[in-house]
This record gives sequence, C-alpha cells and structure tokens, in this order.
Amino acid sequence: MKHFPLMKLRRKASRPVHSLKISAAILVGLAALTAGICIGSVNIALSDTLSILFAKLSGGAVKDSIDASLVSILWEIRIPRALCAFLVGGALAVSGAAIQSILQNPLASSYTLGVSSGACLGAALVILFGAGSASVGFFLLPAAGFACGLGTVLLVIVIASKLDSGFQNHTIILFGMILSLFVNAAMTMLSALNKSHMQRLVLWQMGTFSGRRFSHAAVIFACVLAGTVLITLFHRELDILSFGDEEAAAVGVDQRKIKIVLLILSSFLTGVSVCFTGIIGFVDLTIPHIVRKIYGSAHKTVIPMSFVLGGTFMTLCDLLARTLMAPQEIPVGAITAFAGAPFFLWVYYKGRV
Amino acid sequence: MPDRMISLKNVSAGYGKYKAGNAPEEALVLKDLSFEITQGSSVCLLGQNGCGKTTLLRVIAGMLPARGEVLVDGRNIKELRRKEIASYMSFLSQMTRVYYSYSVFETVMHGRYVHGSSFFSGTASEDREIVEETLENLGLQDLADRQITTLSGGQIQRVMLARCIAQESPVMILDEPMNYLDMKIQSEFMEYLFRWREKPVKMDGGKVYRPTMIGVFHDIYLTSCLADEVALIADGRLLAFGRKKDMLTEELLEKTYCFDVVGYLRRFRSVF
Repeated sequence: MKHFPLMKLRRKASRPVHSLKISAAILVGLAALTAGICIGSVNIALSDTLSILFAKLSGGAVKDSIDASLVSILWEIRIPRALCAFLVGGALAVSGAAIQSILQNPLASSYTLGVSSGACLGAALVILFGAGSASVGFFLLPAAGFACGLGTVLLVIVIASKLDSGFQNHTIILFGMILSLFVNAAMTMLSALNKSHMQRLVLWQMGTFSGRRFSHAAVIFACVLAGTVLITLFHRELDILSFGDEEAAAVGVDQRKIKIVLLILSSFLTGVSVCFTGIIGFVDLTIPHIVRKIYGSAHKTVIPMSFVLGGTFMTLCDLLARTLMAPQEIPVGAITAFAGAPFFLWVYYKGRV
Repeated sequence: MPDRMISLKNVSAGYGKYKAGNAPEEALVLKDLSFEITQGSSVCLLGQNGCGKTTLLRVIAGMLPARGEVLVDGRNIKELRRKEIASYMSFLSQMTRVYYSYSVFETVMHGRYVHGSSFFSGTASEDREIVEETLENLGLQDLADRQITTLSGGQIQRVMLARCIAQESPVMILDEPMNYLDMKIQSEFMEYLFRWREKPVKMDGGKVYRPTMIGVFHDIYLTSCLADEVALIADGRLLAFGRKKDMLTEELLEKTYCFDVVGYLRRFRSVF
C-alpha cells in the first residue's frame, strides 16, 4: 500500500503540540491548586506549605519553625477545600461535556435534565422535616439531595423513553425542562409555606466550598474518579453520538442503551457535586466548549481535559470567592459566572488557541 | 445456492403511535411489502415523495421497528444487535449535519467502530491503514487533518462516503446521497460507487460477500445508471419489482408517479 509521506509527516508533527498543550494545562492546574492552598486570609509561604505537606504525607513531625495554627489551617481547612473545589469543578465540566455531545446541544447540561431542581427539593425536604439540625447538615442533606437529583433524572429518562420509542434528544430535553419546572414549582410552594427555613435553603442553593473536610473530599474523590473514568471509556461512542442518533446507529452504536448509561453517569457526577456544594452553574456549560476549542472534539482528550480545566477554573473561582471581599465570602456560583462569561467570550472569538 | 442478502416478508411500518405497524391500513406508511434483494445486486427504489422510500430504507437498516420479517443474510434483524446490523450494512444519508469539529481522519475512523472487538479497543494500526487507504482512494488524503466543520457540503458528503466504505460492510444503503452535490462531484461519486461494487467484501467472521447496494435517488438518470433492479413504490405498496429495463418503462413510471414522466423528460430534461 502506498503512503503519502507528506500526510504522515504532518500528522506526526501535530502530536507534540497536542501533548504540550496537555502538559501545560496540567501544570496550570497544579499551580491553581497550590495557589488555592497557599493564599487566603492567612497567606502561607510556598516553602512552608511544601514542608507541611511532606511531613503530613510521610508521617513525620512538622518543623518547629512553622506555627502550629498554620498547620491546622492548611491541613484541615485549605487542602480539603481546594481539593473539593477542584474535584467538583472537574466533575461538572466532564458531565457537561458528555451531555452536550449525547444530546447534540451546546446549551444542555445535566441541570437541563433536572438534577439541580431535584436535589434542591430533596434538600428542602430534609431541612423542613429533618431531625436535629447539626446531624442533618453533614450527611443526610447531601444524601437526600443526591437521591432526589438522580431520581429526577431517572424519571425524565423513563418518561422520555416511554413516550418516544426513538428516545430522541429533543424529547429528552423537553421532558427534562418540564420536570425541572414542575419540581421547582413544588420547591417554591414548600418554601413559601415555610418562610423560617428559607434562609438556610437559599444558602444551600447558592453553593459554597466552605467547611469541606477530608471526609467530604474522600467521598467526592471516589465518586468523581469512578464517574470520569467510566465516561472516558465511552469516548468512541461519545464521538459517534455527537453526529446524531441515526449516524450513530449507522456505524453500530446502540444509541438508546449508550445514551441512557451515559446520561446516568453524567447525572451521577453532577448529583455528587450538587449535593456536597450546592448549585454552581456555568462550569458545566463553558469549560467543555473551551476544551473543544483548544484540543479538538475527540472525547479521548475532551473528557480528561474538561476535568483538568474545570477543576482549575473552579479552584481559582473559589480562591476569588473567599479572598475578594474577605472576611466575607461571595457565593462561588456568582464568581464562576462573573469571571467565566468574559473569559468564555474571549476564548470563543479568539478562535483556536 | 440462493444468494439472498436481504429478504422482506409482509413488512408494514408506520410512525408515531403506529410505529410498530399495528395500525389501520390507511395510517401505515409501508403496507405489506415483500421482496428479495440478491447478493451483489444494486437495487434502487423509485416513487413519489412520501411514498415510503426512506421509511423502507430505515426499516431495512433496522432503525425503525416494523411488522413482518426483515431477514439479513438469513437472520431476522430483530435478533441482531446494533453492532451486528452495522457490520452488515453501512448507511449514507442525504446530508449530515455537523455539530462538533472532528478531523476528517477521525470522522472516517468512526466507520471502524464495528470492527472494535472489545470495550477498550482503540484505533488499531490495521484500522488506521484502512482509513488511510480509503481517504487516498477518494482523493481525500490532503484533507485528512482538516476539521470537518470547515468543509463544504460536497466535501462532507465525500467524507461520509469514505466512512461507509471504511466500515467494510457488504451492504451499502444510500438515502439520496447526491441531492446536494454538483455534477462533477456526482460523477465522482458514481465512479467510487462502481469501484466499491467491484471488490468483494470480507466480513470479520471470514465470510466473503459480493457488495450489495440499496439506494434511493430522485434522479431517474442516476437510478438507471446505478441500478440492476428497480423497486417501484406507490403509496406504501410495492407496485413492481424487477430488472431495470423492465421497470423503467413509460407505462410503469406513469403509474408510479401518477403523471406522464416520459413526456416530462422529453419536454424539459433533454438538454442536448
């Protein structure tokens, strides 16, 4: 078989550039994480941070020259918080990337399918009818939010597949939005009837990473890792599905089955994020677009890089949220939109970076 | 040896709530069709707009459930998994809308999906070779790294044809693939299709098939060039099915299209 030498050369030449872009993003991500850990109401020097980290990880004692309060700030507050932010940002971006491709809609995300409204309703029910307030917050609230969020998505999938045997994208989006609105209405009624609990609910909805501990980070880490890896395994199917249902069927992808599996996986990722941190918008919508602009549309790269860039973006947003107007904290959801919208426009109009 | 590639037995189909074909006669799009497509032949469907040609193609491709039996190589299509169906047939539609940007190479590589044996399979070197060869044969080698969002409609259609060929399925289903192509690209398409039909296709199991083509072309000239056999369809029923020279007659065409086709061709379509 004859080969065209020029063509081969060109394809090989584009690879180092690609891996350069990937390494650059990973470095930026690490830098963001470090900044998220070091900077705050108390700034910790990078050298101190590293020696504390080293001591903690190797099980040794921390140097005497470092203030003990710094150690606890770093180890018990900053690190878990930064990790949570990174993981949640990554999870939201991955689920957004997957759902945009599955539904062939650049505006879709798992929020469209009702994850957030379901989770809100779950949280509201716990806040209104839950037992003693202290125990409720730590575990029951996330669990209820997660269950109701995923339940809503499952209901959307069941209804959409019952009513439309082709399981077409516009049916899924339509029922997702209708059910979201319906659940939101139930929410509004509940909160209107129980004004005393409103404040807490609103706070929960706005989304924050404050007070996240290692136990949170560990649960989020396990879920997000599993979800992201599983979605990445479907990268070929995602590539093919983004051409549309019929095209996918034509090359042998069982679109109905794969779509259901991927919708559930993506909603699982969003559900985990929402239930631990509340509703943070914008990351799921824009990060995947930015990633596609930089790395092309192949999901083998898009999914992992969405995770890295989403995590980076969220860590930086959280850093801004707690430092801009310190000691007061700004809801991180506001930051993601404030910082993200102009940045997104810039990237979009600049074309391929 | 009866070389039946695809057999249709009493096939009826419809849309919406009549999707599975359990509907009153008049609500169906396809009504009780039966015919057989021989291995290696080229069958074209002719009929008015809305007579059910595209529906029939979708039923044959297993994309629309139907009442009755569709047998592919002797196996009922209802019992085949999606991947097995795709290993038997590729499908080229009128126009593919492109939402996200992939390179031409990546897009054609999608055709190799059916040949991936496991969940983890990536892109084997054999797949890469076949894709490169296909691109070369279709004169797409210079576009291999271009993003498909930057291509013209004709180029995209050529990429999709490359994907179908790279799929290496013995049956190719064509749903008016040349509607938006200019005459030059049409002529190239004809060339590629004729060339594709010459080379036997080996499926992954090792069985070798003569390429079979099933197509809908609104243009009667394209139909008469590409078809061995023609199925005339009117109002969801099979009006007649047989060799092209017996089907493309003044009388049958008039019956199919309900107007004087040959008169129209003489009056308006004879350029030279």
